[in-house]
Amino acid sequence: MFVQFTTWDIVRNLLEGGKWTLLLSLIAFVLGGAVGLAILFARIAKNRLLQAFAKGYIEVFQGTPLLMQLFIVFFGLSLLGVDVSPWVAAAFGLTLFTSAYLAEIWRGCVESVPKGQWEASSSLALSYMQQMRHVILPQALRIAIAPTVGFSVQVVKGTAVTSIIGFAELTKTGSMLANATFAPFLVFGLVAAGYFALCYPLSLYAKSLERKFHVAR
Amino acid sequence: MQSTRRPFLRSLCGLVAGIAVAGVIGTSTAHADVLASVQKAGTLRVAVPQDFPPFGSVGTDLKPRGYDIDMANLIGKELGVKVELIPVTSTNRIPYLTTGKADLVISSLGKNPEREAVIDFSDAYAPFFNGVFGPEDGAVSKVEDLDGKTVGVTRGSVEDLELTKIASPKVTIKRFEDNNATISAYLTGQVQFVATGNVVAAAVNDMTKLRRLGSKFLIKNSPCYVATAKGESALMGKVNAIIAKAKQDGTLNEIAQRWLNAPLPKDL
Amino acid sequence: MAYQFEFAPVFEHVDLLLAGAGFTLALTAVGAVLGIGLGIIGAICRAWKLKPFDWLFGIYVEVIRNTPFLVQLFFIFFGLPSLGIRMTEWHAAVLAMVINLGAYSTEIIRAGIQATPRGQIEAAQSLALSRAQIFRHVVLRPALAKVWPALTSQVIIVMLGSAVCSQIATEELTFAANFIQSRNFRAFETYFVTTAMYFLMALLIRQLLIQIGHRFVTGRAR
Repeated sequence: MFVQFTTWDIVRNLLEGGKWTLLLSLIAFVLGGAVGLAILFARIAKNRLLQAFAKGYIEVFQGTPLLMQLFIVFFGLSLLGVDVSPWVAAAFGLTLFTSAYLAEIWRGCVESVPKGQWEASSSLALSYMQQMRHVILPQALRIAIAPTVGFSVQVVKGTAVTSIIGFAELTKTGSMLANATFAPFLVFGLVAAGYFALCYPLSLYAKSLERKFHVAR
Repeated sequence: MQSTRRPFLRSLCGLVAGIAVAGVIGTSTAHADVLASVQKAGTLRVAVPQDFPPFGSVGTDLKPRGYDIDMANLIGKELGVKVELIPVTSTNRIPYLTTGKADLVISSLGKNPEREAVIDFSDAYAPFFNGVFGPEDGAVSKVEDLDGKTVGVTRGSVEDLELTKIASPKVTIKRFEDNNATISAYLTGQVQFVATGNVVAAAVNDMTKLRRLGSKFLIKNSPCYVATAKGESALMGKVNAIIAKAKQDGTLNEIAQRWLNAPLPKDL
Repeated sequence: MAYQFEFAPVFEHVDLLLAGAGFTLALTAVGAVLGIGLGIIGAICRAWKLKPFDWLFGIYVEVIRNTPFLVQLFFIFFGLPSLGIRMTEWHAAVLAMVINLGAYSTEIIRAGIQATPRGQIEAAQSLALSRAQIFRHVVLRPALAKVWPALTSQVIIVMLGSAVCSQIATEELTFAANFIQSRNFRAFETYFVTTAMYFLMALLIRQLLIQIGHRFVTGRAR
């Protein structure tokens, strides 16, 4: 009646789960980046209301556990009549989470552009949008690359929490396998190795970008 | 790096705004007749266990299989619709129904008044006895003997609810999120005993020799029922008719033989 | 059937929620103190290149920072017993938090130490300060002062991350939420209230750490 798992069965299933981790990370990062950009613009806008909204948004998502955000999205949206699968809930929840952190990281980058740049560009009679586009953002972007890549590691790791709402990514696959094979040491060791293989290159890349940036300065 | 200065009041405003938004969206849409929408969609969404052998566990392809899955497929076949299996845990299976994420829960679900207040139950489709299990040398034969011991249980299961009622405060009850964690906690020695189903213990004993689950005492006879959201009488009528027919023509007995190695009890 | 939001069934269990919040704060406090302590040791080994500890800490930092907290927790609680290392869910949760925060604060504090010019230490030596005095006043204090905001954020991240400790039956705030939810079946309402509690706790911890920072780390200029 019951099946025996070979090591290959374990690895094969973990790879399948890892595929979803990777895909979810990519989606969260891309969508989170897009939403984060919008939040960033609201955060540094002249309009007080927009500013307050963006500030509240960032505060709420940085000040509450990702797990709770996922629970609320998962059980809350369906109460509104929107049927969300764990997959959609995971992508949506992670997008919110990612956007808040990225907006805050990027705000720091925009603010680290020296004040003189604003003054100089406004003396050239550039409009706010022109200042942003031609003077401030290109410089902020250069500063932002390293911390953004660094944060992508947090996104990949954040996907692990989606296992709790039942999304069958790497961690969920791992706990299912740990129970089916009764070899938790091996399985969770392999799961950890899987995340390390995804994250470590990103960490190294972020570090080298940082170093390059400091040399360039 | 973030600034250290974070005006406390501003943050509070954010929170209040969040609550206000939630209040506005508090008016919810009405559910249609589930049976009608199932027939229209051609798929029946069934919440099943994936960590509760022999009712539902995973094969090497990590797809669920077991008594509950066979039951789900049987109902799907009789309704003439496709079955979509949604793996759930003991903790979240009822929210799946109440929030409309599943049409049926077939997840070795037992009946009690608290649950009957929020969901509806069919006739019984499977026998289930839960009890406390532990190592052969653990001298426990009644609930009083558990004093000072640690018992693992899956949060929100019938075992959890019943054991919480009958056990004295001297018993340490550790509640895990899902059966995976409960069983793992026992097998790795993190808890001394577990409360679970008799057939579950037998299935786990079949699968591993890591740490035997010996029967200590029974808590409750708590057969399993199919559940729907509250007031779905059309769907419930169909489900009950299918269960009655399966009992009569021996289909259910076959399922019981396959997964429980025993015929279906006559009194079910 | 329209869904009716009801918060009353959640507030019936407010004692459980408060107890859970208390445990989360206690976990965080122990985790923060020990984790930052570990971070200080790690940072010194790394910054001063004390062999072989500098590369041991290097490996430790990379492994922890590149794997999810939840997996670390599962590994400690379910994996380590295979090696005969068994601990309660509280010990496992605290250990996971200390290890996690230790890795991040090693890197954070190291950056602070390395930002202190060597000349300052030489100057302090020429003033005949003892090694302990130099370490405390010239190395550690300025380093912590520089990175205090980053440490504060990291402690909050760890506090919020501790929500997943409920998965190994640690009875903290999320556990209380799951417990209530499994009794009253009001998933959304329960999680909503719990989320608000976490938010308030994050604000509280931030304020507290800012005050501690003023009082003991950045303030009292010498």
